[in-house]
Amino acid sequence: MNLLPESALDRLQEGCKIIGDRCNAMNISSWEVVATQSYGHQIDIEGGKISLAAGGGEGGFGIRVLEDGRFGFAYLVDVNSADTAIKSALSIARMSPAVTGFVLPSEQSAKPVGGLYDSSVVDMSSEDLLIQADDIISEVASLDKRAIVTGGGIGVSANASAIYSSEGVNAAGVTTSHGVGVQVSIEENEQLTSSWQSTSSRSRISQANECVNRAVEWANLTRNPIKVDTPQNDSVVMMTSEGFSPLFSVVVPNAIRGEKLVREESFWSGHMGEKVIASDLSITDNARIPGGRSSGARDDEGVPTRKNPLIDNGRLIGSLWSTRDAAQQIAEGRIDAAKSTGSAIRSGHQSPPISGCSNLFLTSSQKGQSYDEMVESIADGYIVNSVMGAHTANPTSGDFSVTTSSILRVENGEVIGAIKQAGLSGNLAKAMKEGVLLGSDVRQQGSYSSGSMYLPNVLLKQGLRVNPI
Amino acid sequence: MVIAKSPDSAVGGLSHRYLDVDKINRGLDKVTTDGATYAEVRLVAYTDYSATIRDRKLERAIPGQEIGATIRVLADGAWGVHSTTDIASLEQQMGPTLKLAQSVAARRSSKDRPISLAEVPIIEDSLHWKPKKDVRNTELSDRLELMNLLSDSASGHDNVVSVTCGWHDEHIHTEFLSSEGMNRTWSFQRSLINGMVTARDGSDVVSYRTRFGGEGGLELIESCDINQLGIDAKSSALRLLKAERAPSGKLPLIADRDLTGVYIHEALGHPCEADLVAAGDSCLDGKLGQKIGSDIVSVIDDPTIRGGFGSYPIDDEGLDTTEKCLIKNGVLTEYLNHRETAAHFDIKPNAGARAQDGLHHPLVRMSNTLILGGTHADLDELVEDMEYGVYACGSRGGQVDTGRGSFQFAAQEAWLIENGEITTPLKDVSVSGLTLQILRNVDGLTKESKLAAPGFCGKGQTVPVGDGGPIMRISEALVG
Repeated sequence: MNLLPESALDRLQEGCKIIGDRCNAMNISSWEVVATQSYGHQIDIEGGKISLAAGGGEGGFGIRVLEDGRFGFAYLVDVNSADTAIKSALSIARMSPAVTGFVLPSEQSAKPVGGLYDSSVVDMSSEDLLIQADDIISEVASLDKRAIVTGGGIGVSANASAIYSSEGVNAAGVTTSHGVGVQVSIEENEQLTSSWQSTSSRSRISQANECVNRAVEWANLTRNPIKVDTPQNDSVVMMTSEGFSPLFSVVVPNAIRGEKLVREESFWSGHMGEKVIASDLSITDNARIPGGRSSGARDDEGVPTRKNPLIDNGRLIGSLWSTRDAAQQIAEGRIDAAKSTGSAIRSGHQSPPISGCSNLFLTSSQKGQSYDEMVESIADGYIVNSVMGAHTANPTSGDFSVTTSSILRVENGEVIGAIKQAGLSGNLAKAMKEGVLLGSDVRQQGSYSSGSMYLPNVLLKQGLRVNPI
Repeated sequence: MVIAKSPDSAVGGLSHRYLDVDKINRGLDKVTTDGATYAEVRLVAYTDYSATIRDRKLERAIPGQEIGATIRVLADGAWGVHSTTDIASLEQQMGPTLKLAQSVAARRSSKDRPISLAEVPIIEDSLHWKPKKDVRNTELSDRLELMNLLSDSASGHDNVVSVTCGWHDEHIHTEFLSSEGMNRTWSFQRSLINGMVTARDGSDVVSYRTRFGGEGGLELIESCDINQLGIDAKSSALRLLKAERAPSGKLPLIADRDLTGVYIHEALGHPCEADLVAAGDSCLDGKLGQKIGSDIVSVIDDPTIRGGFGSYPIDDEGLDTTEKCLIKNGVLTEYLNHRETAAHFDIKPNAGARAQDGLHHPLVRMSNTLILGGTHADLDELVEDMEYGVYACGSRGGQVDTGRGSFQFAAQEAWLIENGEITTPLKDVSVSGLTLQILRNVDGLTKESKLAAPGFCGKGQTVPVGDGGPIMRISEALVG
């Protein structure tokens, strides 16, 4: 059975139109309706075997109404209750502060972004996923007979969405995704080590080998820990893309939001045009990457997306804005000029848009190094492949203090063994200021906040402390 | 077009049923006739309201309704699950869900133990935890008044650059029907107010978060001294601006109620979840009945505490909730379980099944987890004989690797303890360690144990939880 019902998109657009018509009938001149509906299959793996197969779908509508620069929002699941939701949104708008100059985005043509839909994902059945799950379990066992998949799974989804507004925006589309996550554990001689790895794509993942290999590799690499006594001063730390991403995604997307910068709630506030990180590094947000997990032709309020350079060769040159955030900060006098950068994001139909990142890239003008070259250049330090507690990092200051059980000790440019557990602390903004080397292998990672992170391995030479247990 | 049917009466009374009981029961009967050993339908309808103000200005208010239902079918020792917002389709989805379960079962090897469920009492009833002030009747202006009170008390200093306050309330209505004849309906409410103070001094920016909430209606928020909550948050934020970086290394630690709660949630609660134990992903596997902590450590998980953020009257498999004693005087006495894991370990079911909402299947989860009180009178008594250590307060969250038994949690603020005195304010303190080591290192607990600030727990699904305890002293922990 096809994952996506044939009429899925038509039904969503029809629902948007009904709600929009109700807004017009209630003499609301400025309104926006969004709709989402997802369909998916999922297989869970626990304790080395498939634990359940699941499927289903969910969705609903969100309504934003605007009256004299005041907005209200409500969400609902049944178009028949549209009048109630519209009235709620309107009453909220009337209690909200007016933002001078805030109008809903008008229609602008948007060029499509390729690679966001793969019909072969839609064609996948639960049976196909069961076969893939079996393959993963077998693959892990074939790589190391001691290793088992203690948790994780595999899933596919098709996500239909639509936006329809009084300003002429009327767009809809379907994206697909296919994801694999595995927690591989090795327990032997009363010693348990494990590693979590995941991957996802808009297209069908035919082979999950790379993800599985990395999980088994790191479950092995962290066995037989050694004792390390080091002074508790700054350490050189190479963080793999998987280890760096959780910290980067908590701290950096927040710091480059336009309203955070102008409200002085970012550690980069007041530094526009200045050097804020190492002069060979650049950070760019790009929602137009073909096949990108957070790509799209339009942002979540219908504005065409674009590539947004944020830090260029170390210098802060841009920030991310949604329409309302830009209008509000101008109206409140914090900034003279700002406009949407096509960076409005939502948590589905249940929330109004805010400013946020899509696909965030960290790059260097220097040639990227291989893993081995980076290890050699560490001389004396550590390699960290995952951290615990990244969500406890302070996004306002960039300070963090996390724990890792996936850490290797490097001496004289060679890995000499794993450490059972260590504390890792520092300030990410300060650590990125100088002495940063990037690897050549950029990998797409998930996020603890919003968007997707495209990161290579990162070698940080200053500002981090490692406390081995 | 209907994605889900939500009759107007949904928002109102307690007696409304979304499920057509006769129709669903016919579907459950058919699916069992066709080969299922067990089947259930659980529907959850949320009516919720969120709001945020920043510096007294309304940023957003979001009223909403959500309805979702999940079918679970157990056949040939394997689960099939279907979740949907299309309530009208439930009966027709039962057959395909049975086939899913049978497909999983067909792939299992003969070595795999088939899933079975522990026997439980079959109950037909309705149970509603009625709030004194139904939060659904609250006007936005009343919510704003309470948020403004928090905002005002947290503002008013040159270094405070912004105060953001949030509100969330929800009415949760659940209907549960099973092939065994279970037919239960229950409802309750949760309310929460929170604030975040951001302060700046030159290039130093800090933030401090405060929260109050629990199971209950508007009366719960009205019972809070919101003015003091704001004043305390502002003081903490300003103190953090001047705080020093924490020393790092193995140090004695005193944790306030918030951190004690997060510690016991992360370090012990998660490894006690029987689904993780069964999957081979818990450091407490095989340790029931063994001494794993110091004599003074006793731990409970109790969803029946009225007002707790993790409270609920009936679990998501339709079982009456009950207090669970996880550790008694240092001995591991009980895992948190659901029907599947109770059968797996041949232990008594203790109603630990929770799902995020109607669109997720239940997992073994904590509710309100507490360390019980000890014998020390107060904080001073814990501090007075400590030569050098750290007193850490307020939680920024935590995480655990249940298999290895290693955990981490972060404090919002902290102080140095020197020669029995609390001295220098510290910032960005985190604590990490190994569950089985740290539990043995607990050497002091104050007498009074109670729930601390509300929290949320992620395990693939997010659920509200309460945790807390007394003020706790640990003889040695890794502070970073």
